[in-house]
Amino acid sequence: MDKQQEFVLRTLEERDIRFVRLWFTDVLGFLKSVAVAPAELEQAFDEGIGFDGSAIEGFARVYESDMIAKPDPSTFQILPWRAEAPGTARMFCDILMPDGSPSFADPRYVLKRALARTSDLGFTFYTHPEIEFFLLKDRPLDGTRPTPADNSGYFDHTPQAIGMDFRRQAITMLESMGISVEFSHHEGAPGQQEIDLRYADALSTADNIMTFRLVMKQVALEQGLHATFMPKPFSEYPGSGMHSHLSLFEGDRNAFYESGAEYQLSKVGRSFIAGLLRHAGEISAVTNQWVNSYKRIWGGTERTAGAGGEAPSYICWGHNNRSALVRVPMYKPGKTGSARVEVRSLDSGANPYLAYAVLLAAGLKGIEEGYELPPGAEDDVWALSDAERRALGIEPLPQNLGEALTLMESSDLVAETLGEHVFDFFLRNKRQEWEEYRSEVTAFELRKHLPVM
Amino acid sequence: MTAPGRRSSTFTRLLRHGFTDPSAAERLLETPELSAVRSDPVLLEALGATADPDLALHGLVRLLEAQPTPTARRELFDTLIASKPLRDRLLGVLGASAALGDHLARHAGDWHALVTYEPRDLHRDVADFERGLADADDPVSLRVAYRRCLLSIAARDVCGTIGVVETAAELADLATATLRAALRIASAAAPEDAELCRLAVIAMGKCGGHELNYVSDVDVIFVAEPALAADGEPGDETKALRAATRLASHLMRICSETTVEGSIWPVDANLRPEGRNGPLVRTLSSHLAYYQRWAKTWEFQALLKARPVAGDADLGRRYVEALAPLVWQAAERENFVADVQRMRRRVVENIPADEVERELKLGPGGLRDVEFAVQLLQLVHGRADTSLRSGTTLDALKALAAGGYVGRADADQLAESYRFLRFVEHRIQLYRLRRTHLLPADEAGLRRLGRSLGLRADPVTELTRAWRRHTGVVRRLHEKLFYRPLLDAVAQLAPGEARLSPEAARERLVALGYADPAAALRHLEALASGVTRRAAIQRTLLPVLLGWFADSADPDAGLLNFRKVSDALGKTPWYLRLLRDEGAAAENLARVLSAGRLAPDLLMRAPEAVALLGDGTGDGAGLAPRGRAQLEQEVLAAVGRAESAEQGVTAARGVRRRELFRTAAADIIGSYGTETRPAEADQGALVDRVGAAVSDLTAATLAGTLRAVVREVWGDTLPTRFAIIGMGRFGGHELGYGSDADVLFVHEPREGVDEQEAGQVANRVVAEMRRLLQAPSADPPLLIDADLRPEGKSGPLVRTLTSYAAYYRRWSLVWEAQALLRAEPVAGDEDLGRRFVELIDPLRYPRGGLGNDAVREIRRLKARMEAERLPRGADPKLHTKLGPGGLSDVEWTVQLLQLRHAAEVPGLRTTRTRTALAAAAAAGLVAEDEAAILDEAWVLATRVRNAVMLVRGRASDTFPTEPRDLAAVGRYLGYGPGHVGDMLDAYRRTARRARSVVEDLFYGS
Repeated sequence: MDKQQEFVLRTLEERDIRFVRLWFTDVLGFLKSVAVAPAELEQAFDEGIGFDGSAIEGFARVYESDMIAKPDPSTFQILPWRAEAPGTARMFCDILMPDGSPSFADPRYVLKRALARTSDLGFTFYTHPEIEFFLLKDRPLDGTRPTPADNSGYFDHTPQAIGMDFRRQAITMLESMGISVEFSHHEGAPGQQEIDLRYADALSTADNIMTFRLVMKQVALEQGLHATFMPKPFSEYPGSGMHSHLSLFEGDRNAFYESGAEYQLSKVGRSFIAGLLRHAGEISAVTNQWVNSYKRIWGGTERTAGAGGEAPSYICWGHNNRSALVRVPMYKPGKTGSARVEVRSLDSGANPYLAYAVLLAAGLKGIEEGYELPPGAEDDVWALSDAERRALGIEPLPQNLGEALTLMESSDLVAETLGEHVFDFFLRNKRQEWEEYRSEVTAFELRKHLPVM
Repeated sequence: MTAPGRRSSTFTRLLRHGFTDPSAAERLLETPELSAVRSDPVLLEALGATADPDLALHGLVRLLEAQPTPTARRELFDTLIASKPLRDRLLGVLGASAALGDHLARHAGDWHALVTYEPRDLHRDVADFERGLADADDPVSLRVAYRRCLLSIAARDVCGTIGVVETAAELADLATATLRAALRIASAAAPEDAELCRLAVIAMGKCGGHELNYVSDVDVIFVAEPALAADGEPGDETKALRAATRLASHLMRICSETTVEGSIWPVDANLRPEGRNGPLVRTLSSHLAYYQRWAKTWEFQALLKARPVAGDADLGRRYVEALAPLVWQAAERENFVADVQRMRRRVVENIPADEVERELKLGPGGLRDVEFAVQLLQLVHGRADTSLRSGTTLDALKALAAGGYVGRADADQLAESYRFLRFVEHRIQLYRLRRTHLLPADEAGLRRLGRSLGLRADPVTELTRAWRRHTGVVRRLHEKLFYRPLLDAVAQLAPGEARLSPEAARERLVALGYADPAAALRHLEALASGVTRRAAIQRTLLPVLLGWFADSADPDAGLLNFRKVSDALGKTPWYLRLLRDEGAAAENLARVLSAGRLAPDLLMRAPEAVALLGDGTGDGAGLAPRGRAQLEQEVLAAVGRAESAEQGVTAARGVRRRELFRTAAADIIGSYGTETRPAEADQGALVDRVGAAVSDLTAATLAGTLRAVVREVWGDTLPTRFAIIGMGRFGGHELGYGSDADVLFVHEPREGVDEQEAGQVANRVVAEMRRLLQAPSADPPLLIDADLRPEGKSGPLVRTLTSYAAYYRRWSLVWEAQALLRAEPVAGDEDLGRRFVELIDPLRYPRGGLGNDAVREIRRLKARMEAERLPRGADPKLHTKLGPGGLSDVEWTVQLLQLRHAAEVPGLRTTRTRTALAAAAAAGLVAEDEAAILDEAWVLATRVRNAVMLVRGRASDTFPTEPRDLAAVGRYLGYGPGHVGDMLDAYRRTARRARSVVEDLFYGS
């Protein structure tokens, strides 16, 4: 028994915790939970908890369904919304095979593998997400339009704003769970919020995002609202992105920083960006995994541009260019540690473990192969004509999930990063989603065609 | 001067005193400084006693020349003549170390350091050395003072005043004093930094273990805390760490930088958390957090030797106290044993091949082996037994022996060898003060080294012999250290000696990978107790065998199987002799017994086959596969000796079982590798070897069975000519251990024999062959499958050649042509077989290739098969036969190419998949990289099928689900413990890539 495990068991006693929720994430990015009593936890630390993997999306087929969830004591946290004793706590789990070796179906292991490769190259990977989501008054399940919780706009600060109250409570709760919040404000669309988490290593960030989503939904419910991370719930408003700032460190040194270089951006940083760009198409099905994700990318970005809700539709980078897929933020003098790149394609509906793993892999590929960074885009790329973009060599992101899947299918980079098992499941599952969507007769068709045909 | 051609008497005298270049020595003795004493027997004797008299004399002359004044020269000269202690020490150092000779010549007064000879000199401690370095206040003067101190250690070392252990301890003390001095200098250079922080230097590695070499990296870790400010509160941590980092890097530079006086030694801080990428200095809590969360097994092993040596003593003590408990928990970590074994293997693999033979430290049987074994045992048993927690190798070994964790005699022998190897290492390094662990390659170097160890008569030969002996001892012992005490624990032979307690024995077995230690101990007891010769031999064998079993996926099964074989053969005199005397046999047996069920099953039925695992000198011995002709000859001879068909076939099946065992054993040993031979890297070669051997064997068995059946009923000639055509994998020389034999039967009535009657005869032959080959017996049955014949199951089992001709002329379907690609005569009438091949060649290699209809037909058949034949519930991606990228995908692709192009590309006219694929690539029909992808997938799928059969003893088309079986399949394919996930991932990747090529080549163009 190591120190951390002892600490967990002691805390359970002292704080009168009656249930421990063991959390893990399925391949699509949904949080799963098994509750155990504290008495079983000691054994869970030793051997893990057996469960039927075939019940979880993407984990196993029926004939090989025995799997083990093994809690990671360093992620122990008491859940604040059940504050009154007896309380409940949670831990994230690693998923193992019956022989104790890690399961290739576990998204957390996908990210861990990618991080292990990073550390073999001498780097540590840090991420800092800006998570957008909507607060709704209702959540109709029959396909009708939901109602946003308010009518404020970007950075609005009005008396008794619902969002203010929500954000205060939500941030308090996040902080009490050890998740540091950097920044929060009202986003461009009615009901839309943005909360930025403090930068952390990628695995902690991914764990934090999973926790974050749950906390937001919980706080919203307590206030009679609904929080949604759907990428694009309203046609006329911007969607919810999860812009992520990425950086690599070599020991204490920010590997993206080089004083005197253009934008203070090192060779490593430039190759990393080049990798993100060259592989942007094939990783798109992972960073933007839903049919709905492509409505955010292509759904009238021209209209919402400048309102703070821009989604990048074209594969290019720019220095402080908010229309680019990859943005190199303005360098703040004296802050060598803060050199980073911001990826703006990612949306709030992504599985953070898989998404960070493929982004990292794409960037590292750029470093390993020494990709040349193409010239940055200085203009607003939405405003350019197709011909101009072609002339500049700027390609579009996939138009829809189907296109994204076709690109992903022939990508060794994605297959190797996700592992063949997840790669295979993901493609099958998403193909089916795409096919179901394609065969659906939509409100759009009824509205356009029925009156005239 | 002597005249040419005449040797002076001095010349022979010098030669006798060990000079190798007497003429040069004579010239040196003629110099003004020495001419007065050139024939002084005392001086010559003293020179002759050194490791290298030529070097010593040369050094002495330089030292005398370097004296600044005639008075100084006089003083040295007089002391040299008058004082024996100085003479011995000075000349001893000069004869053993060219580097210290240089130092003395440059610092002409330093020889005074060798004059004093007080009893308290016998062992000097850190305080002494600190006094010696007290005046140094910059890197250059520190180097000079350091060398002066080193001079006194070396002098007493070469004169034998202190032994190898004390020398190592003093060198560590000198290093400690040097680090303190360097920190003093660094602090003096930046007092403001020193004020901000408390910095402690922790020695690791050999310095930490108090057993340093003359020259090696000094491993350290730095820990720092903010100093208390004036108000009694700790200061700012970030600032303090920055200050401490500056001090620490300055300290490292002071020791390692090369100045006019050279460098002292490199200070290596890479054992710190996160290695060279981590911050140089951390706070205590940051160190702790790292070790609790991130540290790997080897990092804990390194911590065994942590010892605070310089800087803030209180902080250093707290560091060690806080981290020591973590060290002792390391053995409980997951994969601890696997990690440790991997670390060890990696070390050996990384030595350049041409240096292995001279490598003192890392080579097999080298110093690292001893240190490694001792540290591993400390980690396993040190948690329960605090007496084992010494950082010094020899002390720890002594404690392990005292506690009964290793045998006392083993420990003594090992300690002796360790001391010898360290002794050699010291003297090699002393010569030039270079960090090296290689024995000299030149004669002169070896001579000097041998003489410095006191070997005078024939130093080179004696040195080589002693070195061989000691590495041999280490190599033999280092594995036995783990296992022999287990046997002592159960055998209860030597009363009075401390023994491993039952709990400790169980603990160790678990640590070594045994799942059921209680059963393992029972087997050990049964095998090793008693006073018989057999038990005695097994006691010496088992420690090594246990190690090999532990290396497999199922150590428990290995040990159980060994017990079974020994119970069956223990009384046979050659059995134990074979295992004891033939180097490879025991290791081979251990591998075969622990790699799965098939090979032990085959062996248990006739344990004598163990003989095949020997070195292979006798007739039929050894693991090399035997050719088709040789096998056929043996089978036919056995059949000829038999009284009846039944007896004949039994004999043939016995040969088959033995040869299957030989093939399986060779396959396992080739896949796992042995200590002397690495695992076969060419997977394709392994697959081809099994395929060829099993196919040859099956053909020979069929030939023998046919002969036996015919002779029983019809005597020498059958009324009809009869031939067996191999089909499918059999025809392609690709049979696996568990495959059925696909065949066609063809016959042709002899002249004057009625066709109907001939048909009856042929049918009876077939029926009789099948019956005898499948009759229940101890030997595995051979199943014959003739379903590929015309009209399939509903067609006649046997046809005449004319009937085949008529059928193929009228009815032949494209799938039949495809199946015939693999047809090759395997037994019976050779001429008939040849004519059958002539008959089918135009079908399978159609002129002009295939029509569009036929191509479409083949594609449809394959697509339908993919949809229908895969079993429900199984993961199709892991199905080695019908899954995407599996055998059938590759084979159909190759066969389609053959059908289309074999008429114009002769290379495609082969029954073998890999050969045909290579020919297609050579002819440009397939791109090289695509062919490589297909070949890799086919080989891997076949390897998996062979592995499953070897592991489970039953054939299967997919990976086993039982974890131990899956792990064993992994070991066979080269995946270590805990890596089955990687194996499955690699299989899926290979298959996915192959599938995409197949879609292109088979369905696409």
